[in-house]
Amino acid sequence: MNQFGKIFKFELKGYLKNKFFVGITLFLVILIAVAMFIPDILSFFDSDDEENSSPDFPVMLVYTNDSNLSSTAEKYFVDSFTGYKVKMFDGTLEQVKKQITSGKAECAFALNSPSSYTYYVNNLSMNDGNTAVADNILQNVYRASAMIKNGISPKQADKIMSVQIKSSTEALGKDQTANFFYTYIMIFALYLVILLYGQMVATNVATEKSSRAMELLITSAKPTSMMFGKVLASCVTGLIQLVAVFGSALVLYNINKSAWGGNMFIESIFNIPVNIFLFMLVFFILGFLIYAFLYGAIGSTVSKLEDINTSVMPITFLFVIAFFVVVFSMTSGSIDNTAMKVCSYIPFTSPMAMFTRICMSTVAWYEIAISIAILIGSTIGIGFIAAKIYRVGVLMYGNTQKISSIIKTAWKA
Amino acid sequence: MLLELKNIEKNFGNKKVLKGISFAAESGKAFGLLGRNGAGKTTSIRILMNVFPANKGEVLLDGKPINYNKIGFGYLPEERGLYPKKIVIDQLVYFTELKGIGHADAVKVVDYWLKRLGMSEYRNKRLDTLSKGNQQKIQLITAIAHNPQIIVLDEPFSGLDPVNAQLLKNVVKEQIAKGKIVLFSSHQMNYIEEFCDSIAIINAGKVALKGDLNEIKRNYVRDRLVLRTTNPKPIEKDFGDACTVADNGSIIIQLNSPDDKQNTMKRLVENYDIDEVKVFEPSLNDIFVEYAGEKV
Repeated sequence: MNQFGKIFKFELKGYLKNKFFVGITLFLVILIAVAMFIPDILSFFDSDDEENSSPDFPVMLVYTNDSNLSSTAEKYFVDSFTGYKVKMFDGTLEQVKKQITSGKAECAFALNSPSSYTYYVNNLSMNDGNTAVADNILQNVYRASAMIKNGISPKQADKIMSVQIKSSTEALGKDQTANFFYTYIMIFALYLVILLYGQMVATNVATEKSSRAMELLITSAKPTSMMFGKVLASCVTGLIQLVAVFGSALVLYNINKSAWGGNMFIESIFNIPVNIFLFMLVFFILGFLIYAFLYGAIGSTVSKLEDINTSVMPITFLFVIAFFVVVFSMTSGSIDNTAMKVCSYIPFTSPMAMFTRICMSTVAWYEIAISIAILIGSTIGIGFIAAKIYRVGVLMYGNTQKISSIIKTAWKA
Repeated sequence: MLLELKNIEKNFGNKKVLKGISFAAESGKAFGLLGRNGAGKTTSIRILMNVFPANKGEVLLDGKPINYNKIGFGYLPEERGLYPKKIVIDQLVYFTELKGIGHADAVKVVDYWLKRLGMSEYRNKRLDTLSKGNQQKIQLITAIAHNPQIIVLDEPFSGLDPVNAQLLKNVVKEQIAKGKIVLFSSHQMNYIEEFCDSIAIINAGKVALKGDLNEIKRNYVRDRLVLRTTNPKPIEKDFGDACTVADNGSIIIQLNSPDDKQNTMKRLVENYDIDEVKVFEPSLNDIFVEYAGEKV
C-alpha cells in the first residue's frame, strides 16, 4: 500500500508536469471560454447592424406561366420562406437558370401546375428542406382552390386550412430529447479520454521498458503496485482534466447565462440530475480503468516505442466498435435494442451502453447493479492480469511477442 | 549471512542457458562472478534478484529460501536505465522511497551520496543531460542509498574512467567493511583480483571454477619458474623447448614436475647471470583464460 502510494504520487506528478497535458488542458479551457462568450461577442457586433437594414437574405425566385397560380402562390411562398427574399420572376426558364448559376439568386421554383413544379438550385445541400416546404404550400393552395370551387367561401376555406391542433406530450419514462445532449457529450468525452489516456499509459510503460528502468522497478516494487499506481494516476489526471474543462465551462456559462437566454441545448447539459451525474462518474472511472489496464499491459509487451500503435490496435478496435454501437442506437432512437442490452453487461462496452440506457430509457435498478458489479469485478480482475502480463512482458525483449505466449508465461508466473 | 545459489537451471525456449549453477557469497566479503560474454552471468544475477524465476534450483539465505520482501537488496543492473527525461533528485528519491525509506530520509541519504560521488551539481538536472559515466554513478546510488544488506553489481566498472573507477572501488570497499554481501560480475579481471575474496568462473552455463581466490592461486600447479636476466641466450640454449619468453621479456621455464623447483632454481642461480627468479603465480587473468577459454 505504501509502495502503491509512492508510485501513484510519482506518476501523477509526472503526468501533471507533462507539457503536452498542461498545453492541451489550457487549450481546451480557452476554447470553452471562447465558445461560452459567443453570444456576447455576436450581440456586440449585431448591435451596430440592426438599425441599418434588414439582414441580407438569399434570393428565391418563383416562376410560373399560370397567372392564377402566381397570385396565390406569392403570398404563401413569402409567408413560408421567411429566410429568403422571395421574388416572382417574369421571363423565360433559361433566364431563371442563368440567375442561379450566376449567383444572383440561390434557388428557384418553376411551377408548372398547382400539383407539379421543378426546383432549381446551384449546389444541392444535404439538409435542403425547401422542397418539403414547397410541397406543403402547393398542397394547401390546391386544397384551398378545390374548396372554393366546391362552394366554400374563401374565408371559410382559410379557416379550415389554418386549423391549430393543441397537443402536449408527457414522457412517463425518460425524455430522450432532453437527455440526448449530455449523454452524447459524456459518451464522447469517455471515448476521447480513453483513447488519449490509454495511449499515454501504454507509452509510459513502453518508455520504461525501452529506457531499461524496468529491471530496477520490478526488483524494487510489486508489479500490482506498479500497475495500479500507474493506471490510477492516469485516471486521476484524466478526471482533473475533465474537471478543469467542464468546471470552467460551468463557471463561464453561469457568468454568461443571460446572454445565452436559456438555450435549451446548453441548459440540458448543465442541468444534469445528480443521480445521472453520479452514474456518469462511476461508469467513467470504471470504463477508464478497465481500458487503461489493458493499454498498460499491451505497453509492457512491446519492445520498441514504434510498435505501440500496431499493438494497441485490437483494443482500440474493440473500443471503437463499442462506441459505434452506442452512438448508432442513440441516434436511431431505439435505445433498448438487443445489441445495447447485451452490451450493457459486457464489461468493455457497459460503461457506455449501460450509461446511455440509464440516461435515455428506463432500466430497473437490479439491471444497473448487475452491470456495475460485473464491471467492478472484471476491472479488478483485468488489473491483476495486467500486472502479471506487465511482470513477464517487461523482460521480453526482441521481437513483438505473440499474445498466446505472453498469456502462457503470465499464467505460469 | 550466507547467500547461496543451488543447482540453478534456466532455459530460454529450447536453449539451456544455465545448467546447474551453484555458488555462495558470504557477508563481509566480495564475491566475483566471472565469465565470458554470454556465459550466463547476468542470467544468474537476474535469477538471484528474482527478475525471473529459475526452471530448477533455489536461492537460499542462511540455508532458508530467501524472502525478497524482508531482505534489502541493492541492484545495479547490467542494462543501465532510469528515467531519461526526469530530474536526477526526483527519481533517486523515488527509487529510494520504493525500498521503504521515508521521504525526508530518502532526500537526506540521496544528497549524501550525490556529494560523496561528486555529483551534487547535477542534482536538479535531467538525467539525459548527463554523460554516460555520470549516469552510471547516478544509477549506483539507486543500488546503495537504501543501505541494503546484499549488493549486486552487474558489470559496475564498465564505462567508468580510472578516477571514477577508484571512487567506486572505495565505495565498494567501504560496503564490504560494513559487513555486507557484495556480489560482482565482471570480465575486467584486475578489478575482481583487487578486492574479491572468492570467485566463481562460469563457462557455458556451468561453474568451471569456484572458491577462495588466494587458495585457487596457491593450489595452482607450481611447475613454472619466472626469471629476469640481462643475458637470456645461454639459458634459452640450455633449456630448449621448456623455455618461453613472456610478453614483458621475462623468461618462463616449464618444469617436468613441481618437485624440480628447488633444484632448477639452484642451478639457474649458480650457472647463469640472473637478476630475479621466482615460482610463476598465475594472475586471475591467466586462470580465467584457462578455465573460461578452453572448450570454445
